[in-house]
Parts: sequence; C-alpha cells; structure tokens
Amino acid sequence: MSTDDESFHPLGEEWEDELESMLDDTEYDSELGMKMAQDAMRVTEGELSEAEFHDRYHEEVMEEFGEDERPTKEAYEAAQEEAKGTAASMLEKFDGDGEETRRETMKKMGVGAAAVGMGAFGTAADGPEQSLAAEKGPRQETTEESDTQWGMTIDLDRCDGCLSCMTACSQENDLDQGVNWMYVMAWEDENHSGASDGGNTDTNSQFNRLSDYNMLVRPCQHCTDAPCEKVCPTTARHTRDKDGLVLTDYDVCIGCRYCQVACPYGVNYFQWDDPDVAYEDIDGLEDPEDPDEITHAEYEHGERWVDSRAPRGVMSKCTMCPSMQDGKQGEENVGTTACETACPPDAIQFGNVKDEASDPSQHREYPTKSRAVIDINANVPSPDVVDSNVSDGDSLEAAIEAIDSTEDADLDETTVAVAKAIEIQSRDTETDPGDEENNSILEQQQTVLEFVTALEEYVDLESESARETLDLDQVDDIGNAAQIRLEQYAGDPSSFQLLEDIGTNPNVTYLGTQPGPEAHQVEGPTKYEDVDLLDKRQEYLDKETVGHVDGVSL
Amino acid sequence: MSTKEPTEADILRPINTLTKKYFILYGAAALGLVAFLIAWAYQLQQGLIVTGLGDWGSGGGSTWGLYIGAFIWWVGVAHGGIILSAAVRLLGMDRYMPIARLAEMTTIGGLSAAGFYILVHMGRPDRMVTSVIGHYHITVNNSPLVWDVTVITAYFVLSATYLGLTLRYDISRLRDDLPDMFEPVYKIMTIGYSEKEDQVIDRMVWWLAAAVIIMAPLLLHGGVIPWLFALLPAMPAWSGGIQGPMFLSIALMSAISGVMIISYAFRRAYDWDHIITDDIFRGLLLWLGFFTLLFLWFQLQANINGVFLGPTNSAVAAEAKMAHPLYQLAMGMAFLTLVYIFLQAIRPSLFSKKRALVASVAILSATLTEKILFVVEGFLHPTFDIYANTPGTYFPSAIEWLSLVGTAGLVALLFLNLSKLVPVVELHAIEHMRGDHGHSDDATEQEVEA
Repeated sequence: MSTDDESFHPLGEEWEDELESMLDDTEYDSELGMKMAQDAMRVTEGELSEAEFHDRYHEEVMEEFGEDERPTKEAYEAAQEEAKGTAASMLEKFDGDGEETRRETMKKMGVGAAAVGMGAFGTAADGPEQSLAAEKGPRQETTEESDTQWGMTIDLDRCDGCLSCMTACSQENDLDQGVNWMYVMAWEDENHSGASDGGNTDTNSQFNRLSDYNMLVRPCQHCTDAPCEKVCPTTARHTRDKDGLVLTDYDVCIGCRYCQVACPYGVNYFQWDDPDVAYEDIDGLEDPEDPDEITHAEYEHGERWVDSRAPRGVMSKCTMCPSMQDGKQGEENVGTTACETACPPDAIQFGNVKDEASDPSQHREYPTKSRAVIDINANVPSPDVVDSNVSDGDSLEAAIEAIDSTEDADLDETTVAVAKAIEIQSRDTETDPGDEENNSILEQQQTVLEFVTALEEYVDLESESARETLDLDQVDDIGNAAQIRLEQYAGDPSSFQLLEDIGTNPNVTYLGTQPGPEAHQVEGPTKYEDVDLLDKRQEYLDKETVGHVDGVSL
Repeated sequence: MSTKEPTEADILRPINTLTKKYFILYGAAALGLVAFLIAWAYQLQQGLIVTGLGDWGSGGGSTWGLYIGAFIWWVGVAHGGIILSAAVRLLGMDRYMPIARLAEMTTIGGLSAAGFYILVHMGRPDRMVTSVIGHYHITVNNSPLVWDVTVITAYFVLSATYLGLTLRYDISRLRDDLPDMFEPVYKIMTIGYSEKEDQVIDRMVWWLAAAVIIMAPLLLHGGVIPWLFALLPAMPAWSGGIQGPMFLSIALMSAISGVMIISYAFRRAYDWDHIITDDIFRGLLLWLGFFTLLFLWFQLQANINGVFLGPTNSAVAAEAKMAHPLYQLAMGMAFLTLVYIFLQAIRPSLFSKKRALVASVAILSATLTEKILFVVEGFLHPTFDIYANTPGTYFPSAIEWLSLVGTAGLVALLFLNLSKLVPVVELHAIEHMRGDHGHSDDATEQEVEA
C-alpha cells in the first residue's frame, strides 16, 4: 500500500474514484456518502465508535433517505455478537427488507460506506479486498488528510525564562526528575550575546524582550515527517490521524530507543527505572469506571495508552496533552496544553495550525499585529465607555482625555495608535474568530476593532492631525504607516522552525531570534534547581549505575 | 610444513577425547555466561538504569552504548565469518578449506551473541514477539531496525542451512566413529541421505555461497547494519556513504582475527599442525593486512571529509572523534598490526603463530573499541548540540562490561559443544589435502577402507 496515497480507503484512490462515480449515478448525495465512508473506515479501525458514527450522520441520513436504521448505542453489543464486522452489519440495516440487490444497497447507502462494506462481502467472495481493516492494521503514516494539526507558535522574545511551563508540564504528566518534556533554555552564539554582555539589538520595542536572554523553548515538535516514527520497529511511536499528534503507545513500545536516536531535537526521555509516581497515583484515575474520568492513564479511545509519564522500560516525550485535546479534561481545556496555560507572558500559542483563525496561525502569519493585540486588548475601553464619554466634534486629544479620566478605563495615545494600526492592518485579513477553539487572538482583535469603530463614530482617526498625534504619519501610505507604528510597538520578529533543513516539517514555529549552528546553552534567568527541576538527568541516573566511577567517561 | 598425512582420525580427535583442560575451559566459559545471565536478571529487575546509559540532549547521557557497539561488532564477526567460508567455496581458495567450517561456526556463534544483545538492550524484551512481529508488515517499510532483524534472521537461516548441508557428507561417512549417545542428532541431520545427493549439495552450497557473497556487501554489513546509523538525519558522526564499506572492512577484519584465534586454539589442543598449517595463518594474516589497509583508508576518508572545511556539525564531530584518546589507541593498534603484517610479508622470518595471535587480538580489540566509540560519538556531537549537557557522559557499567564476557563465553560454549558433536574440520578438506580429488571416486574407496 502506498504511503503517499491520500485516500482514506486501503485499496487506494482509484478504488475510491470508481465507487464515487458509481455513487454519482444514483439520486443520492455523493458527498455525504464519501464523508460517511471515511468515517466508516475510522469505525473499522476503532477510531470512532459506532455510536459516535451514528450520531454524527443521523440528521443527514434522515434527510437523505428518510430513515436511519443503523445500529445505535443500544444496539451496539448485539451487533458485536453478530460478529459480522461493522460494515456488514451497517449494510444490513440499510438493506431493510432484504429485497434490494447488493449493488442497490451500496448505492443507496453511499459509496463510502459501500467501500467499507465491500471488504466484508469480499471476504465471502474471496475478492482481493478481503479483510481490509486487518490488512491495514495500525497505521504508520497519515493516510487521510485531517483538517486538524495541533501545533504551536512560540514567541521567544516574550519568553522570560521563568520555567513555569516546565514545572506545569512536569506536574500535569507526573514526570520524573530530569524528564523535561518541555525544556526552556537560554543561549548565546557569536552574533547573539546573552545577558552578560547586555544590549540585544534584534528588536527596538519596549514591548518584547522580557528578559535580556536569548531563549529557546523546546517541546516535542510533533513533526509531520517525524523521523522517530519512521524508525520505530513496532508502530508504538505513531501519528494520530485525527489531529497529527505524535504519540507513544506505552503498551507496545519495546524500549529499543531508536526514536530517541533518530530525533534531531533530543526531545525523548527514556524511563530507565520505575517512575516516581505510581500508576495508581496518576492524575485522573480516581474513578476508573467512568471513561470521562480517565484523563491520563490507559488512554486514547480506550485502547492505546499514550498520555502521562511512561512506565518503566519504554520511551516518553512531550505529548501536547492529548487527553485535553480529546475533551477528557473538560471542554474548556480542548485546544490548550498545560504549558500554554501556565505561561505568564503568553509566549506559547497552541492550536490547530491548519486553521487560519487559530492562535498559532495568527501569531505565525501576523506576528507583529498579534503581539500588539495580545498586549493591548485588556487595556482597550469598551464601546459603551466610548459612547458615554465622547461626543461629536471632540478632538482626538479631548476624547482620549475624556475616556482616561473615567474610572472605567485608562487610555493613552499609544493605545489608540496601536489599536488604529491594528484596525488598518486587519482590513485585508481574516477577522472572524469563528467558533473553533484557540481563536483567542482574533477574539481579542474583535475587542480592539470594536473600540476603534466606536471611537471613529466621533473622531476621524485618519485626519492629518489625528495621524500626527498617533504617530501614524511617518509615510503617506496609511497601510505602511500602520505597519511601521506596530513594529515600533511590538517589534518585527522573524519566524523560523528548528532545523528546517533536516526535512522533519515540524509543527512548532518560533518567533524571534534563531540560534545559529554554534549556539550553546548558558545559564538562564531562572535556575532549574530553584523551581525544583533537574536539568542534567545523568546525575540521577549515575547513582544507580552498577560500578559507576565519577568523572570517567568515553 | 608437516609431512604428516591428515587422517579421519585427526578430525575425529576432538569428538572422541575428553581432557581436563576441556573441562576447565568449559567451566570458565559457562561461568562467564552464567555470571552475565545473573547480571542481566538484575538489570531486568531494576531496569536499564543499572547501565551507564542515559538520554542524549538535556539529560547529558548517551542513548546507546556498549550493548549496541558490541552487537554490531558480533554481527560483523558473523558476517565476516560466512564471507570467508563462502569465498573458500566460491572462489576455489582450497588452501583455506580446513578452516571453512570453523568460520561457519563462528558465524553461528556471532549471530547468537548479536541476537542475545538485542534482547539485553531492550527496555521491554518481553514484548519482542507481540510488538515487533505483530506490526512487521508495516514497520518493514520504514524502520532500519526491522530491516536489520530481517537480514540477520535471513542470514542465520542461510548460514545454518549451509553448515547443515555440508555436515551431512561428513556425518554419513564418519558415523561409525561418532559417539553413539548423539545418535538421534546424527539421524536427524542425515535424514534421507544418499551419496547421489553429494553433487546436488555441492551445487546448492555453491549457490548459497554466491548468495552470501552478493548479499554481504549489498545488504548485510555493507548495507543494512551501517544504515541503522548512516541514514539518520542529524547525527553527523554517523552519516556518509563511507559507512557501508567501513562496516564491511571491520566485519572482515574482525572475522579473520576471530577465526585465527579459534584456529590457533584447535590446532594447539589437537595437534593439528598438519591440518591448520602455518601456511593458512600466513595467508590469513595477509588478508587481515589487506582489510586493515582498506579500513584505515576509509577512516581517513571519513575524517578528511569532516575536518577539512566540513560543515559545522560534521567538523565538530570529526574533530572530536580524532581527538579521542581511545580512537587514537584503536587506530594505532590497527596501524601497527598493518605494519607488522607488511614487514612479515617481505621478511618471512618475522612470522610466528604467536605473533599472528597477538595481531588478531589487537585487531579485535581495535574494532570493538571503534564500534563502541562510533555508537557513542553520535550522541556526543549531534547537529543540534545547543544543550549545555551535550556532549554528555557515558562509561559502561560493570554489567555492560560483563556482557562481553558473557557473550564470549556463549560463543566459546558453542564451539566446545559443537566440537564434541561434529567434526569442525571438513572431511573434504583432509581428502583434498591428501590429494584425493573427485568425490564420487573417493567415496567408494573410503567405503572399502572402512
């Protein structure tokens, strides 16, 4: 089976196309059929429960066919007993009175579900496509394009090296000392000196540079082309189709450590001895009977254990909190990670990097504007405050004065200037936050835009005098002027990915200064031991080494 | 050279004698193996933390170490052994016929030791079957480690078949002089034997030998084993197309040295001066010199490519490797051995079997050192070496060192056991040395003699 093939069906694209054209010949909705087919495949692979499948398409099926006799949650166990395979039993339900031919049935239910069903029929007919799900097995590569890919944009200029993310990660996942899934370091190289030499010249704004250090924040990069996954001899290291997270199945890993060898970033940590936190004490296992309570251990669709610290003898690394993404820690935690939540200056923006409206995408594509939005949105007065304090004909200065003098708000020219610049800069871009998670930047931008709109009811912010007051007159073109103003405020960070030339296609993007090839770590603003973290794990491991002699090394 | 005529009695001597020295050696080898098995049990109980290994990166350790280094070293010995034997058959190097079977047995021993290392190295060896074989059809498309296990298994089957087929000829002819207590084993090994098959077996063995010779450089020690390392994207100490030839040269050096040591031991123990002759040692020494020369040449290529205007990452890795005292020691040993081999070639009086033995031990130590260093160097100087704790530290723990003793004991036990069961020198070889050519003819003759 070609791994490049992006078809969802194990028999490949051609097969799908054939079935799709078959479906096109019917009076039924091809698109619905293909969508159902895709999910039906996922049912056969155990990624989706039958009940979920049923629920997802109930309305559409009713609309299309006028009936929906597929197995429901209640019918689930009975269907299992029939042991005819998911697809076959689903087909039967469609088949209703049993008088329709197989082909008609297939057409009726939609080509996709039929494609799955063919597997079951093919077994009897000795067709080439027998036992589809078995042939496919647990997947190594992403074969279907999901529209979700969790990832991060990390603003290194905003990182003040407080290590809150590291401790949060460690607590969330019950990690051993020295197992630093999230790792934050300060660094220097020839072109970028550290705090000791003072004066970084990369940026020119008050806004960023929360510390004098060059920082690097290193979670797992959750690469699209993950070398660790490629080399794994067991498929324990795998990429989840539904959201691109690269995870380790703790029940399959044999502990050969080849993933750690192949990872160019050094994000893996092996469990050399028994973990400090016993299995029973892992968070979220208080009520093992309630599946929604199992947040950490025994996890992923109830089948694969991928979250929290690893047991002895297997590999672990940053997971980007899959139990949160799957809603097992409450809806409010979907689209967040422990490190993101813990980060005081919001340097970490986690979300769906394929969604243009998501925080990581916004931060990556419009770093200057997004920084400004994150920084000023809390200080922006609400439209009500504007309405009740400003009257027609007020000058800009008077309006600012009027708002600033109230108890409800603080306002200065800089805030207005930056808000106006944001408004100008967002004219040609997506502004609708949508209803997905991780859209806080666009939501915050909405707040800013509402303020600008409210203020402009009374004051012309694009008049010559207003532009002068707001420092938006450096160049004639107002778009360029806005950009310059925002850069003055928030800097204009370059973006990069770590080791881009290695070809791993990481899903973490950085804003700020890229460490050169000779960059080396230096002591950062916060010492690891001050926040109860162990940096050099070898110090701990050496204690248990049989016949260890201090200071002797190859 | 000895004037004594080699006889069947000569090659049967190991089987039909039982000496005190044998028991002492057997006890020592068994003790080594058992000691390591106990150590391994402790490792299984405590976890791999009892080794000197750790996490590369922020952890300041080395992910792989002696276990993997020794693993590829043993695989090298094994691969070289079978190449040696195949060359004898395929290229008609009749001079080395008396040691061909020792080389094949070295292969079986080496592969056993290597396979054992795979288990010892794992965090969860209990899952080998379910996790590896269960997903084989997927992982074989990607994982060099799975390719590795695949070719090693293929190789083991190939070598065992090869050895098993050639043993049928000997056992069926010498059966009357073989101990009765192993009768069932001999029965199974010679099941369905008839003299008519000799020619067929000859052909089969020839083709197997051809397969070995073709597979070895392409797939085995010139391919899949170095690919475990050379294909990884960000470990400059390992990368480069030179690793294939490099690994192959190391395999041949190690195997020739290993076979020389084993041959020396058998010759001494069973007075085989007239079978494993000085001539064989001289010849092996020359081959050893040839492959050592190649090896040093490849090392030069690898280093020059790094240190002279190399990209930052490979320059750092190459410079660090060259500066390592153990690397210098290993290369020094190899170079001095090469010098000795060269000198004894132009002045034959410099040859002695003891010196050949010393040369073999030096080369084996050099290749083992190089292998372990090679593995560790990768983690010490990765492309992404921003971490303050990289390069990390690693020194093998007592348990890891003991694994060398254990696996050496395992291989020694294999030889000690096999030498009591079957002739370790082929009947063909002594027939050849006596000058009886043509199998069908002398087969009849022998029957008359018997």
